[in-house]
Amino acid sequence: MNHAEGNIKLLVLVGISVMLLLFVSFLLIFISTQRRKFKYHKYIQQLHETQQNLLIEAAVKSEESERLRIAEALHDEVGTLLSSSKLHFQNIQLNEDDPHNVPLYTKGQELMDEAIARIRGMSHNLHSSILQEFGLFEAIRHFIQQIMDEHLAEATTALDCRPSEYLGENEISVYRMVQELVNNLIKHAKPKKIHISCVNMDNWLVLTIFHNGKGLTQEEFERLKFQQNSIGFKLIQNRLILLKGKLIFSSRPDGYFIDIYLPTERTSIDGV
Amino acid sequence: MGSFIADILDWSEVWGTLIPLAVWMRHKEQPGYLRPVVLYIWFALVVNLAVDVIWKLKLVIPRPWNSNNYLYNLHSVVRFYLFSAFFIRLQQPVLKRLKRVMPWVFGLFVVLNFSLAENFFNYFNLSSRLLALEAGILLFYCLQYYFYKVKEDQEIGINQPDFWVVTGLGIYVAINFFIFLLYNELSSYDIPFAVDIWTVHNLSYVLLQIFLAKALYESRRR
Repeated sequence: MNHAEGNIKLLVLVGISVMLLLFVSFLLIFISTQRRKFKYHKYIQQLHETQQNLLIEAAVKSEESERLRIAEALHDEVGTLLSSSKLHFQNIQLNEDDPHNVPLYTKGQELMDEAIARIRGMSHNLHSSILQEFGLFEAIRHFIQQIMDEHLAEATTALDCRPSEYLGENEISVYRMVQELVNNLIKHAKPKKIHISCVNMDNWLVLTIFHNGKGLTQEEFERLKFQQNSIGFKLIQNRLILLKGKLIFSSRPDGYFIDIYLPTERTSIDGV
Repeated sequence: MGSFIADILDWSEVWGTLIPLAVWMRHKEQPGYLRPVVLYIWFALVVNLAVDVIWKLKLVIPRPWNSNNYLYNLHSVVRFYLFSAFFIRLQQPVLKRLKRVMPWVFGLFVVLNFSLAENFFNYFNLSSRLLALEAGILLFYCLQYYFYKVKEDQEIGINQPDFWVVTGLGIYVAINFFIFLLYNELSSYDIPFAVDIWTVHNLSYVLLQIFLAKALYESRRR
């Protein structure tokens, strides 16, 4: 083997080794830089999400406290005023000789009763004391009973599942979502029948609203929630983010289903 | 036993291409940017088969048809253009113009080199200059791909087909740059060593094909 031949062999072997080593090192550095960068982005994203959730939570809480304030004002101030007015009204001495007075007096009393009942209804709608005292399911049952009385729709419930302890004081958000969804159904879907049921599924509590009106598909909901005038859907979406839940729309030949997935513990967030 | 292993290594450029083709047969629906890669694998199968058949039947086939060097030159040119098409189709905004100009520059080099300096159908040697330049440019393409990916927010993942193609190609050209560059020199000084070093090329070629197979498989999964 002469000197030049040896040099070429050495050059080839060293060249292959160095090039391979350089490329592999470059690749490893690239992968680790990329991973680190991605982790950092993920961390920033999480931070952003946490901040967004805090904002939503603050907005929901302030909305609830405002509702409570209005409900108390209606119930304690306007309600009391109307009740007192009714008492005074009842004590008016009528001139029974005038035939026009009696029907006017009776009509006035009826209007007064209706005003008191409406104020009470509004107050209860704004702040459900049943929810505070008897829990989510009882509040939904009571709400559905009201719907049945007011709108002549056949509304039933089957809420015999285990309530979620994870929800805690956020039960009010679930109640508001059900309220908003059912009110929307009555306004737009015009169903003859509404049925609310629940089921415990792994780490989820699933509340299902079934109705036989003109329902929404998942695509329609996804589109509507980003429309500027869909305030109700936006509120629902905010509460879902807050609860880390999901809303699934589906249908069968006999009607439509709205499934509200609510986590029963912290670990079930990525589930459905 | 030794001869059996030697035979397997000799034919590795042929059976290596069957690995990604087997994956492709199962998952024929591939994104547009992988089409040049699939085309390359088919082309490589045909050319490598011709290369190995000519080599094995060297004593049977009459001169000058029993030289396969021009097929290596042809393989290099086609490989360069198909992988250039792959990189252009990736639509990475970095060095876009350069990537579009490079095939023209390479084409000009091929025309000038084979009309003035070398013979494309050289009976004794493949064109070290051509293969080394091709490897160098492809290595540059691979490095610019990684530089762009570092800028991108997406996490580099084992489920990205383009990552597997580029990494396989990068390893292949990094290993073979010096082999291509000095192969003519080597084959004139020490033929057994040149044959041995070509085995390294063959092994890296099989590795490239495995990476291409992985890319085709991942693209289907996505």
